[in-house]
Amino acid sequence: MLLAVMMLASTVACNNLPGRPAPVSDVLRPSQQTDFAALYAQNCAACHGPRGEGGAAIALAGPLYLATVSDQVLRSVTTDGIPGTPMPAFGQSAGGTLTVQQIAALVDGIRKWVPAGAAEGVRPPSYVAGVPGEAKRGAIVYQSFCSSCHGPGGDGGKAAGSIVDPSFLALVSDQGLRTTVIFGRPELGAPDWRGDVPGHPMTDQEVSDVVAWMAAHRVPYPGQPYPSGAGKSLQGGER
Amino acid sequence: MTWLRNIANWLDSRLGLWAPVRDMATHRVPRRSASFFYVFGSAAFVLFILQIVTGILLAFVYVPTGADAWNSLQALNHGVWLGWFLRAIHGWGADFMVAVVLLHLCQVFLFGAYKFPRELNWVIGVCLLLLTLGMAFTGQVLRFDQDAYWGLGIGASIVGRVPFVGAVLVHLLLGGPMINGATLSRFFTLHVFVIPALLIGLVGLHLLLVLKLGINEWPMPGRVVRRETYLREYEEELRKDSIPFVPDAIWKDMVFAAAIVLAVMACAALFGPFGPRGIPDPTIIQTVPQPDFFFLWLYALLALLPPQMETPVLLVAPIFVIGAFLLLPFVAGEGEKSWRRRPVAVLSMLLIAVSLASLTSLANRTPWSPVMDAWSGDPVPRPDLQGRSPLELRGALVFQDEQCRNCHSLGGVGGQRGPALDAVATTLTQDQLIRQVLQGGGNMPAYGKNLTPPEVTALVAFLETLHPVGELPARNASQKEMENAAPLPPQSVR
Repeated sequence: MLLAVMMLASTVACNNLPGRPAPVSDVLRPSQQTDFAALYAQNCAACHGPRGEGGAAIALAGPLYLATVSDQVLRSVTTDGIPGTPMPAFGQSAGGTLTVQQIAALVDGIRKWVPAGAAEGVRPPSYVAGVPGEAKRGAIVYQSFCSSCHGPGGDGGKAAGSIVDPSFLALVSDQGLRTTVIFGRPELGAPDWRGDVPGHPMTDQEVSDVVAWMAAHRVPYPGQPYPSGAGKSLQGGER
Repeated sequence: MTWLRNIANWLDSRLGLWAPVRDMATHRVPRRSASFFYVFGSAAFVLFILQIVTGILLAFVYVPTGADAWNSLQALNHGVWLGWFLRAIHGWGADFMVAVVLLHLCQVFLFGAYKFPRELNWVIGVCLLLLTLGMAFTGQVLRFDQDAYWGLGIGASIVGRVPFVGAVLVHLLLGGPMINGATLSRFFTLHVFVIPALLIGLVGLHLLLVLKLGINEWPMPGRVVRRETYLREYEEELRKDSIPFVPDAIWKDMVFAAAIVLAVMACAALFGPFGPRGIPDPTIIQTVPQPDFFFLWLYALLALLPPQMETPVLLVAPIFVIGAFLLLPFVAGEGEKSWRRRPVAVLSMLLIAVSLASLTSLANRTPWSPVMDAWSGDPVPRPDLQGRSPLELRGALVFQDEQCRNCHSLGGVGGQRGPALDAVATTLTQDQLIRQVLQGGGNMPAYGKNLTPPEVTALVAFLETLHPVGELPARNASQKEMENAAPLPPQSVR
């Protein structure tokens, strides 16, 4: 009887010892790992923030962003990356390390951050440009919605830096510009499409136009170390 | 209970064991030697027994084949009742045994116990230490996970460097030219039959010599060992001031050994078994194999040695080190025993201890090794992103995407192979940053061919923001002049 009680007690106690290996094994093959938290922490957290709250790259956990972007886009961007930008390709089909199942697990997990219906009643401009933009109109849109922070010419103001810097434009896609114009970078203080001019949310057309205006600032050979500033003023000084 | 006594008497009248065992147990030891400094040997012995018992229990389940070893350890961890605890005790017991054997060695060395007439016992002790390390290494291989696999690979490549017979030795060690099915059988045989048998034999001899020559007396400064007089002096001390080992001296050994065994069990319960970590499959490259605790110093040493020093250090140094250990009692067999009068001995021991500790602590941090998933796993610290321009934010992305983070830390997180970059803008100007990124230098590779001009511009723009608040970034000497000349009327720039 005593022995039985001791056996039972020790079983209960021993099953709760901190040294007992966790039932979920941490020794899977890397390609078999489908736990969202592990995958996200290893592959995405560095740029999009540990909980998707945004980092150097955009926030993935924004309710409006997630309500607008489709699974298909999330999947294809994660798999193939965005050429020309710092978003790398993670899919095995594109030379990365993640399998189709792992990317599906990532997309699923990102979706689960935001409860369904969190963006009910808000209608942001469409994720993909629905109407073609025109740079000329965009210049006017820029003046009314953006210039208060980014400066009258777009090359930096008191509250925000340049958005027409050729190196910046070379490292961002048109879709990337559009996404930032629509959803802002709230975690860094940049407003979304509703906040640029309070009471006047940007329309789909206006977003397209301002993106076209920014894209028109792209130059053929961006990123030369002394494009205009230092070299010129030095020449000027010598003269 | 008379019937029990009768049986015992019946047995003893035939075996005749009682009298010698009693004499052995009650042999007299110098009173001052019955000290807590003299308990490490017996604790090592108790740990050895613990290892034998747990090892036998493990062998009931363990399957020593390349295909099944890893799975059988998983079964022990998760499928067998308290199997994980058994593995944990065996693993922690090994760590404790190596530590206690080393403590025993230090104590014997500092107390001059290797001097006349105990030279042979020192030599046996050195062999026991090597065998204990052999058990540790072979045991680590039997865990047959990624650590074991690559540890074995490193062991084999060390052996392969032996001139002329290297290939033959590797073949002998691995059972083939590379790690294969026969390898694990070989290490199982070594770990379970060969080395334990040698250990049991030598431990017996070691104890026999302790009984025959007596335990070392407490070293007194000025009491010098001389071959002509030592044995007589020792006899004299035993006659004047000694106690029987049982029961007057043994209780300290028992208390310490019990404390050590409890510590092993506590560690096993709290921290659990060692591994098995990933499957031993060389096609899995996402692994950072490391040896167990007792060989971490060697891991660090091999990582830090310049390549041309590797073979001499690996092949020649052990001969000298082991040779020095073996020759010690013959070179310094007489003289002072007290560590108070042996500064060279104390300093050399401290030097070795500090070196091993430093190497072990380095091995825990591996500053020489890039952190391969820092680029995608370690976020850029939030303060480094706040109030930055779009270009600088792109630069932070380039910084991560080009895996700069794998070697350079920000906010204390990331690789340590290159310098931390939290304040890089205070030491390098814009031009110097561009040059360093494009051309590399020091330990850093050149990235000029891997980055586009906008990427370099963005990256450098980001790096230029990395300076502590209130501390100005480094600037060119000419920059001030440029700024003074800057407010020129626009028409002059043409």
